[in-house]
Amino acid sequence: MREYQEAGRRFLPGALSPIPFVAELRGMMDETREGPPAGHSLFPASEKIEATPLVKILIRNLDFYYDDFRALKDISLPIYDKEVTAFIGPSGCGKSTLLRVLNRIYELYPKQRAEGEVLMDGENILAPGRDLNLLRAKVGMVFQKPTPFPMSIYDNIAFGLRLYRHLSRSERDDRIEVALRRAALWDEVGDKLHASGLSLSGGQQQRLCIARAIAVEPEVLLLDEPASALDPISTQRIEELIAELKSDYCIVLVTHNMQQAARASDYTGFLYLGELIEFDDTERIFTHPKDARTEDYITGRFG
Amino acid sequence: MAAALERGRAAIARAGGLGWRRGLFVAAGWSLSALAFLLLGVAMAWIIWVVVARGAGALSPALFLTITQGTGGGLLNAIEGTLVLAVGGLLLAVPFGMAAGIYVSEYPFTRWAAVIELLADVLVGVPSIVIGYFGYITMVEWLGWGFSVAAGAIALAMIALPYVCRTTEVAMRQVPTELREAAYALGAGEASVIFKICLPAALPASLTGILLALAVAVGETAPLLYTAGWSNYLWNGRLIGSPIGYLTYAIWTFINEPFASANALAYAAAFLVTAFILVINICSRFVFDRRR
Repeated sequence: MREYQEAGRRFLPGALSPIPFVAELRGMMDETREGPPAGHSLFPASEKIEATPLVKILIRNLDFYYDDFRALKDISLPIYDKEVTAFIGPSGCGKSTLLRVLNRIYELYPKQRAEGEVLMDGENILAPGRDLNLLRAKVGMVFQKPTPFPMSIYDNIAFGLRLYRHLSRSERDDRIEVALRRAALWDEVGDKLHASGLSLSGGQQQRLCIARAIAVEPEVLLLDEPASALDPISTQRIEELIAELKSDYCIVLVTHNMQQAARASDYTGFLYLGELIEFDDTERIFTHPKDARTEDYITGRFG
Repeated sequence: MAAALERGRAAIARAGGLGWRRGLFVAAGWSLSALAFLLLGVAMAWIIWVVVARGAGALSPALFLTITQGTGGGLLNAIEGTLVLAVGGLLLAVPFGMAAGIYVSEYPFTRWAAVIELLADVLVGVPSIVIGYFGYITMVEWLGWGFSVAAGAIALAMIALPYVCRTTEVAMRQVPTELREAAYALGAGEASVIFKICLPAALPASLTGILLALAVAVGETAPLLYTAGWSNYLWNGRLIGSPIGYLTYAIWTFINEPFASANALAYAAAFLVTAFILVINICSRFVFDRRR
């Protein structure tokens, strides 16, 4: 475990393309811990070095199938803790699919399956026999369309809390207030907690969903185009929120809005037709993409 | 009809010379719609007019306060009996129907779901007189319950069951996928998702179905003839062994009697049943609208 984190800490996605990078990383994890290979700079000159992020999730050789259709092809990449990782790419290229693997929500549908490894804190979450409900309590998710439950604002958040935690009434009230404050919603709804969640505006509903997700204290937060159904002002509030939540969570953001990825994320993966074309820190992806397809996409030549 | 043709003509005029063919289609479409509306509207208006004209005249306080005596008297026993039978039928049909509906919507491709769906379809298609006679053979005769509230309510429950099952199933399926996924994504188990998220979301639509099933149960005659029998007296509180009166029996029997008093009772009963069903329909519409 420690070794694993060490490996993640020492390794930064720099001048390497994803595939050799993973081979490298695997080598480091499987064999003894040595220094970086001679003649190969693992520490490119970048300010990011001081941040020394930890790998929270390591995806290795992931394939995903909808029945016979192979929607993800041999995806390998790290997702760092307390950072925002964005997946960009044209519609239908597998961004959301990749996200839905991370909490195994795809398991609701019998014809979908994932192959490969997704290591979270070193444990393969794709391994059979894992308690999916516990996994999902650790990996929160916010969807494209706001999904408030048809109940009061209070009960929307209490629903998740009641599942796994036996809290006294006052403890629960506190947790709900904290969650709503963190989601920047308390000032708007603090005095009407017993109003229906459906009575809120779209932007407020989405922040309610974020509050609901963080109330159960997950470690990872998956955001599936969380602002794509919202107006620009609500979108900005969500982005501010992402920046703020980053200090506590490992955040994975799917977006088809490239400006959003550039603004809100630290690392960006570009997916195209089920393949991870390029993964790097966001600044580099948007200023010096290595692959011509990435460049074409971010400059708006297709997509 | 004239208005439809006028609309067609206006459409032709708007479309100009080029679109005359489209204008013709528009005119034909409006005419057919008007015809369909007339067929339904006239039939409905006629029924309501006959029932109201003859039934409302027979309404009097005594009708609601006294029991039937021979071919005259009031309908208090029948009103009470209809309510008892309909409520009894729903008490049986709602729990089983909703359970079956939830099962079919949540486990759609399982063998049991297929069995339940088949049974529901068959039950809808069985003529109600057959259900009545089935109740007579099994409950009245074989089990020895005699004409009774229990036999009548069970027969009505068999009529209402597929309605409750189907509307619950449809209502559960209409719960957005995102809502289910959101609940599962919080780590909720299947039972929590179904009973705490989906069912509350589906309840208004499901309630509409239950109200319509109530309307059907109130309006049924055939399943009760062989199971509930008829009684001139108020319900004695017993579930088996003694028959009970109900409004549709009064319609069915008294309309053929050669006495004016009996005919008046039949029309009064028809008026009450129609009014009751109308009220239920309005209520269900209200429930449905509030959902939006």
